[in-house]
Amino acid sequence: MNLIRRWLARKGVDRDLAGEMAAHLEEKIEHLIEQGASEEEARATVHRQFGNVTLHEENSREAWGWSGVEQFVNDLQFGCRLLKKTPGFTLTALLTLALGIGASTAVFTLVDSVVLKPLAYRNSGELVAGWERVRVLSSDSMGPNPRHVDLWKERATVFAGLTLLRQGARGVALGAEHPRLVGSVTSEPNLFDVLQIRPLLGRTFRPEDGVAGRDNVAILSYPLWRSLFQGDPNVIGKTIRVAETPCEVIGVLPEGFRFPNANALRAFRSKQGISSVPEPALFLPTAIDANEFSWNGDYGNWIALGRLKPDVSIRQADAQLAPIETQVLAQMPASEGDRRPGALQAFVQPMQEAVVGDSKTGLWLLMAAVIGLMLIACLNLANAQLGRAVVRQREGALRSALGASRRRLLASALAENLVLAGAGGLAGIALATIALNLLRHYSPVDLPRLLEVHLNATVLAFSLALTLGSCIFFGMIPALKFMHSDPQTALQANNSRTIGSRQGHQLRTWLIGLQVFGCTVLLLLTGLFSKSLLHLLYQEKGFKTGHVAVAEVDLSHKTYGTDGSRVVFDNAVLRDLRAIPGVESAALVSSMPLEGESWIEELQRTDRPQQNTPLVNLRWISPGYFETIHEKLVAGRFFEERDRNLNSIVLSQGEARNLWPNGDALGGQVEVEGRKFTVIGVVADARTTSLKSAPAKMAYAHYKDRPPFATFFLARGKQSADLLLSSMRQAIWSQAPDVTIARVKTLDSQLTESLAPERFQTFVLIAFAAAAVLLAMLGIYGVLSYSVARRRQEIGVRMALGATRGQIFSLTLGEGGAPVFYGMASGLMVSLLAGRVVQKLLYGVRAVDAPVIATVAALFLAAALIAAFLPARRAASVDPMEALRAE
Amino acid sequence: MKRRNEQRDLLPGTLEMLILETLRRGSLHGYAIAQSIQQTSEDVLQVEEGSLYPALQRLLREGWVVAAWGISARNRRVRTYKITLAGRKRLRREIAGFDRLLAGIGRVMRPVES
Repeated sequence: MNLIRRWLARKGVDRDLAGEMAAHLEEKIEHLIEQGASEEEARATVHRQFGNVTLHEENSREAWGWSGVEQFVNDLQFGCRLLKKTPGFTLTALLTLALGIGASTAVFTLVDSVVLKPLAYRNSGELVAGWERVRVLSSDSMGPNPRHVDLWKERATVFAGLTLLRQGARGVALGAEHPRLVGSVTSEPNLFDVLQIRPLLGRTFRPEDGVAGRDNVAILSYPLWRSLFQGDPNVIGKTIRVAETPCEVIGVLPEGFRFPNANALRAFRSKQGISSVPEPALFLPTAIDANEFSWNGDYGNWIALGRLKPDVSIRQADAQLAPIETQVLAQMPASEGDRRPGALQAFVQPMQEAVVGDSKTGLWLLMAAVIGLMLIACLNLANAQLGRAVVRQREGALRSALGASRRRLLASALAENLVLAGAGGLAGIALATIALNLLRHYSPVDLPRLLEVHLNATVLAFSLALTLGSCIFFGMIPALKFMHSDPQTALQANNSRTIGSRQGHQLRTWLIGLQVFGCTVLLLLTGLFSKSLLHLLYQEKGFKTGHVAVAEVDLSHKTYGTDGSRVVFDNAVLRDLRAIPGVESAALVSSMPLEGESWIEELQRTDRPQQNTPLVNLRWISPGYFETIHEKLVAGRFFEERDRNLNSIVLSQGEARNLWPNGDALGGQVEVEGRKFTVIGVVADARTTSLKSAPAKMAYAHYKDRPPFATFFLARGKQSADLLLSSMRQAIWSQAPDVTIARVKTLDSQLTESLAPERFQTFVLIAFAAAAVLLAMLGIYGVLSYSVARRRQEIGVRMALGATRGQIFSLTLGEGGAPVFYGMASGLMVSLLAGRVVQKLLYGVRAVDAPVIATVAALFLAAALIAAFLPARRAASVDPMEALRAE
Repeated sequence: MKRRNEQRDLLPGTLEMLILETLRRGSLHGYAIAQSIQQTSEDVLQVEEGSLYPALQRLLREGWVVAAWGISARNRRVRTYKITLAGRKRLRREIAGFDRLLAGIGRVMRPVES
């Protein structure tokens, strides 16, 4: 209170002091005159005795204790004025800071929301996903076998609750409209008890909801309720059609509730293509009868989600599961495969980790890159500030000669940078907000928890720290320099024949070296990622995506329960597709291309059964499939329309060679799922499941053998596949208007999407690296041209003494060369380490890749040369006469 | 800038005490305070303006004196300082402390021979 009153009275005090001092002077003068001095004498004496009126006023004001604040405000104002005087620098600095802080804030928000922030469930730290690892199948963990999980439930005491769920997509409709596809979660009724979620309306599942016949109930997510029922509060008890089956709505989930989609929480955690899976919005109950499942199979179809009892650690849970798995092995019939110890392992993983998964490394990489860029930008600013400080050295010297304390000088230098950093920080946060909004709506990558991404207190604290940090970083170095100028030397040193101050220049050279270092690391990583992306894009795929469109149709069990009905539908649609003008061929397949391995089965020769049977991806295809996506025949023949014998199979070359190393696969007998097939053809290996892994082993059966429910119709057109999309939709709906079309897209866009994370990472890195190189070039240019400008006279003297222009040129180049060389050398060494860290994210490139290193080194050297060329030429073109005369 | 010895030798806080004592005898403006101290001390103490005004501001801040604009003997508009009740109390404490200090100094400078 008192302080505020004093602050308000401040102006009055100033006025009083000024008036009072003036009166004081006059009184004193009058007094002296009375004593007999002439007025002139008296005036001179009094002023001499009184000294600096302003200083006295200032000292008197200080007694009130607000001078600190006032000085600070003063410094800020002074800083603003200085900045206004150099608009070029100010604008560059502001832009750099805004972009730097904006980019860092945006990326950090992603890291925070996706990786760091706990999932939005009560005590989410207790939630775990349970996986199994089956030695013969895969080294990856997979969704567990429900029969094993049943034993976990029975025998493990670490879980407060454990549920099984599977994710998918269902066509949902109200009334007569075409069904829309929504993400669905089918779980045991206790899912919401495990998650500890209470509904907004209605109720969650009860155990009896799982019972067959009574399981036609559904719980809607908040967004689905809003879009289907416009938020009608009387929705409970109403009926929706889910995959053509009427379902009663029994509950609506709260607004903030989110469930990870099938990509985020998936059973197969290997490098897979991604698919655009809709956000889970529909929750359906099911009861699981463990006896329906085999002892050793059905892996990867279900996800186990559990809540650990409080204070139970992951390790304790794992320790309890291990003996249960041993019991499972003991119980397993000998005919069902590998029963040796360690053949089967189970473990739990924090749900957060399961959701975040592979996105983590990529995000941290992004974070490191953006911080590196920020650092390079700050180094540039520090360098520019240092240049300004050297110019202002005389000013600093003058101020300190007039009695400014070091603290004052430092404070005033910092204030200027605070103005810059503050404005830059604000602009940066604004930019980050815009960028994040864009990202949420048009995300180029399928990040888990994307909808949870937003700025929060943690992020703002981060930005604030970043702002202050950068301010201190690029403000302090020049300020220290400014402060340490010895008034005497600085004031006398207006003579430009001396070669700058050595120390100042060395500091700038160091900064350049650091910049080059950061730049090299960034460039090298970018090089690795670019090469990796190019590899993915231009490697031999073995099939062609151009001109092909694909439509996914989900046939319901209700209407298309029989094989015959599905074949009828398939044939009708295929006929209509082939009738579309411009369509060269059409076919169907049971899995979306480039969406990872699926429907994995054991396949073996009937004449030579093996213990460890190889696994293949089973696909059911129509004739014309290979022709439509241009896969090459190696031997035998493909399926044809006239085929009546459905016991034929086509193998991929890798699989055929695996079973028949001598190459005589044609006509051979194989056994899959307990049935025998004859090999009629061998198709060349192709990366149809994923571009990121070696071609998968494939086996293709005739679609009439087992027509798939999820059917993928492919059509190859003469022109762009985009033109086919709407006519494909029409062709399908003209056969059955209430069938669910999950998606229609070109195979090209499917390919693009499957590489979205790699593209995104690479493009961001390229943008960052380009910015970094530009900044480093500016830095080198700035330092060298400044040095040339200062050394004009020196160069003049050198030339007068016989130095050639060539010598001067290389002298200047060499000055810039040393820091570039050291920076690059250390950068290369560090990036070898960094490359190892990101090795997991690279395809077809090793962390130490000589061509990439050579390219990067050459590229950067060229950039440095360009940056150094102009100043060096300017140095070489100095006219000695003119330079010396200009003194 | 050359400084007079008298000034430099003033103990910290002494100036405030001198001002308070001067004002106790009657309200004065700044220049008159300086003059009064100089005259009373028979020119031993000369108060520099550079010290006087900060000291006066400190006294104002503490509420030991109040100031008001008035007219000087020379018919000039001046700011006159007046001691407050708190100022008088303070002065008594300062004098007591100062006496103790003087006594101590005296004992050091002229020790009683034992």
